[in-house]
Amino acid sequence: MPHPTDGTLRRLLDEPVGVADVDRAHVAGCPGCLSRLAATQQDAAVASAALQIETAADLDAGWQRLSHAVTAERTRRAVSSAGSGARRRPAGWRMAWRSPIVAVAGVVALLAGAGTAAATNWLQIFHTERIAPVTAPQADLISMPDLSDFGELVVTEPVDVRPVADAAAAAQATGLAVPQVSELPRGVTGEPQYHVSGRVSAVFTFSAEQTARTAAAAGETVPPPPPGLDGSQFRLVAGPGFAAFWSQDRPVPALVVARAGAPTAQSSGVPFDAARDYLLSLPILPENVATQLRGFSADGTTLPLFMSAEKLTSSTADVNGMPATVFASRAGTMAGVVWVDDGTVSAVAGSLSSDEVLSVARNLRW
Amino acid sequence: MPKPPAPGAVRPDLEQVFRASYPRVVAVAAKVLGCQNEAEDVAQEVFLAFGRSSVPAGAAAGWLSVAAAHTALNHIRAGRRRADREEAARDDGLVAPDVADTVVASEDRRRVRAALARLPRRQAVALVLRHSGLSYAEVAAALDLSPGSVGTTIRRAETALREELES
Repeated sequence: MPHPTDGTLRRLLDEPVGVADVDRAHVAGCPGCLSRLAATQQDAAVASAALQIETAADLDAGWQRLSHAVTAERTRRAVSSAGSGARRRPAGWRMAWRSPIVAVAGVVALLAGAGTAAATNWLQIFHTERIAPVTAPQADLISMPDLSDFGELVVTEPVDVRPVADAAAAAQATGLAVPQVSELPRGVTGEPQYHVSGRVSAVFTFSAEQTARTAAAAGETVPPPPPGLDGSQFRLVAGPGFAAFWSQDRPVPALVVARAGAPTAQSSGVPFDAARDYLLSLPILPENVATQLRGFSADGTTLPLFMSAEKLTSSTADVNGMPATVFASRAGTMAGVVWVDDGTVSAVAGSLSSDEVLSVARNLRW
Repeated sequence: MPKPPAPGAVRPDLEQVFRASYPRVVAVAAKVLGCQNEAEDVAQEVFLAFGRSSVPAGAAAGWLSVAAAHTALNHIRAGRRRADREEAARDDGLVAPDVADTVVASEDRRRVRAALARLPRRQAVALVLRHSGLSYAEVAAALDLSPGSVGTTIRRAETALREELES
């Protein structure tokens, strides 16, 4: 009979009852397997010792701290939904900024933006006409800096997601056309739940000092910024948008159809190509990400969509004549397609195959 | 169908889940970080996220363990607060008081953290969850692995960890 796999031998150490009798009997009488088992045991012991740490969690102190954090967060949300003008980013903003959809509007809109803003007025330096995937190992994406590493970000219109009753309400709240799905893919049923968010905007002020601090924390030094960049401001705007979720309480919704005003960036007057070239030259960005951004950042109209190389594959397709980016998880558990049409980003995604999301996207009824 | 909490609200079962799972969440994060203080920070982040989520209560334990491992690994990979952490490791009383031992212990921990950060993410999480006492079935469910492949994933992680520590 064949020798049991390494995985079976490993389980034999922890959960012998989980291993088939025939495998156990084989190992007991096979010198080769016994020797593999001994090596497995040795590695397991090394790992156990390496990960050994005694913890004594103080339950009451922990709960007290969490309660305070929850209360503080609630207060901040209440303040932020009261609409009292510019404010520091609320809790969760950093996370929101890093989330796949919103992250593209951050550092990235800045880095991908281009054009020379000679005037002192706000000048549009970036508007989204198409999307290109930027693929990098997940570790690099996680270590991507966010805007607060380069200066101060003041959220002028915070992310404010709220549920609405139906498609008509979503259309009314966002001013966007809300398409109907002609035919739901197999396994997707019921009515979707709609969520909307108003416009999201922020003003970012570049700080040479903050940038130097970030670099220093990463053990790097940076050259002085080009004249005029320190203290210059950029306005980032995206939305409003909506998303329709089918089965949204699952870890990955069965189907999501979403649209939003595509991100734009405006500069208060700094020559933007100089700023972009400077930021892309900093040793803070993972080099492979910087290289990909340099590849298409000249036109100021391509929105990078960050993808984990370990988890996602991407390809191109068209949705009724518009170029689209299709992404799918390597595990085959989810897929999505995203495209830009006249200043609006649309996406269809879910726990579906690439063919299924493309079919839904191409057959949306407007 | 459980609805996500309204904006600004937290789920009503937060305290109950917290009291049942906090020690486990701290322990999982501490295995990654080698430091209780930072593990407690990670646990706070994890429970705040949980409080805003609509994860079914029955799935909370697995969700929290995976989130603790990922969040702790993110802390390492972000490369931030390393100096703070090493300071804290010296101060938190978990290492031997002898100065030489302290230096050695914190150097070992640094190597373990760095080694974990270099493992494929799924291997690192499976390894940490298994060494935190989760069964093969629980690790399989938490990571969406087939039960048969959990042993293989852990075995690969342990081999890689040993090689990293030897190098």
